[in-house]
Amino acid sequence: MEADLTPPRTFQRFHILHRILHMVIIFNFTFLAISGFLLHFSGFAWARFLVSLMGGAAAAGWLHRFCAVFLYFGILIHVLWLFYYKWVLKKNFCGPDSILPAKKDIKDLFQNLRYVFNKGTPPLFDRYSYLQKLDYWGELLGMQSMGVTGLILCFPEFFAGLIPGFFINIAGYFHFYEAVLAVLYIGVVHMSDTHLAPDIFPMEKSIFTGQIDEQRFKEDHPGEWNRQQTIND
Amino acid sequence: MQTGTIKIKIKLKTRWLCMVLTTGCFFLALLWFSNARAGTENASLSTWFVDMSKYAVSAHASLKCEECHGSMTGKGSGKGMELKSKHPDTKAKDFLKTQTKRSFNYQTCRKCHKTAYARFLKGEHAKAALKEKKTGQLSETGYAPTCGDCHSAHYSKSHLSRIQTGKMMTQTCGTCHMDQKLSFLENYHGKASVNLAYEKAAFCSDCHGAHTMTSLKEKDVALNACRRCHSDATPEFANIIIHDSIKNADLKSDIKKSRIKWVHLMRVLSLSFVVAVLVFFYMHTGLLMLRKLHEKLRRHK
Repeated sequence: MEADLTPPRTFQRFHILHRILHMVIIFNFTFLAISGFLLHFSGFAWARFLVSLMGGAAAAGWLHRFCAVFLYFGILIHVLWLFYYKWVLKKNFCGPDSILPAKKDIKDLFQNLRYVFNKGTPPLFDRYSYLQKLDYWGELLGMQSMGVTGLILCFPEFFAGLIPGFFINIAGYFHFYEAVLAVLYIGVVHMSDTHLAPDIFPMEKSIFTGQIDEQRFKEDHPGEWNRQQTIND
Repeated sequence: MQTGTIKIKIKLKTRWLCMVLTTGCFFLALLWFSNARAGTENASLSTWFVDMSKYAVSAHASLKCEECHGSMTGKGSGKGMELKSKHPDTKAKDFLKTQTKRSFNYQTCRKCHKTAYARFLKGEHAKAALKEKKTGQLSETGYAPTCGDCHSAHYSKSHLSRIQTGKMMTQTCGTCHMDQKLSFLENYHGKASVNLAYEKAAFCSDCHGAHTMTSLKEKDVALNACRRCHSDATPEFANIIIHDSIKNADLKSDIKKSRIKWVHLMRVLSLSFVVAVLVFFYMHTGLLMLRKLHEKLRRHK
């Protein structure tokens, strides 16, 4: 049997802008999580040691705020790109390629649950599966509420003029618990869905290279693949 | 033959290991006992004795004993309360058994620490002492403290940094005000100041005053305390809860209690939301991974 030496066919999946923005999110999310949780766990010696490596509480606080602003700039650029997509490229937000939630996602979820218990076939995902959509919307909307609660915590004097004082306490708890949710969700669900799946393991590189090879395309996004085939034919 | 010798060797090895472990345990036990004994020996020392090696490096090291305790020239049943006191009766039943902090006359401190003493007299602790004298009953937090309950006359050091003082202060105040200490350490102020040594963040006395011990239950007083750091604070700013603990909520005013309960409710709601989302998606992902692994292994067959 001869080895197949031709490189596998690959397809463009992610635009360079989105790849860069994803890197921006990874970088800032990591540092935000580290610096934030170090404040929360500052009662422990290891956390104090790591904060001292960062240059003390003031530096860690500065890093947290800097990364928050940096991350939010990434989100703003993404929103600007959405306008460019709609008005300059004149493309549609809706349709099967869309990241917008659709009825099919609910169906896919139930079909996936049936598949898990061996009572059906896996759902035929389109360009984005429902978990990928959830990752996207979780990030986009979650960062809005993290941003609002973070601003409240950063400028309590100003916000005490707008909202009752004890709302600032509530904002603190929301900020913390949402951070816990974000870290535990991204760290486990997003990571295992993208990298740990047996066919993909050890790493899915398409968000970094922008390319997806033919086999992964066929298996993970059969809806989009089938549509492209019919267009080409 | 060979398996037999190997078995014997293993037996010998385990026996040797057991020996080492038992001796180790024995020495550890010995160490523990000696430590425990040392502990009890120290405990039997009365608070009337002063460790002079510690005193020599304390803030008061330059003072002679009689500058605070008087000459103690007379004899008899002096209670040690007066400056020109007599030495306590060495044959009395309670000799060296009474609490030094309750019997020493702390007006002596006034000689040098005038401002601190004047502030103390205006403060909540002095009011508590007055109340204690009137009713003859201790409050929930114990004796109304005088100087010696917070400051060690013989061992306190001077020229400590802000962070060192603040950390000690949190412990000292916390011995009576445990809930307040814990909630302070849960708050941003406590985490930044005590845990992370951030000098700009507030310690106990930065809000409550060094010797006045203001309660901050009144809004204007509280706002003034906030404004020491947050110069553009509005009256609503003082409604931010610092000692956010559901435990001591009953001690607080009704409106503050209801606010604490709202905050607590929101905290529980957000926590349960987080738990619900994570449980669902962890189970979803875990089962899906197992399913996919199963499919892959079946394909390989």
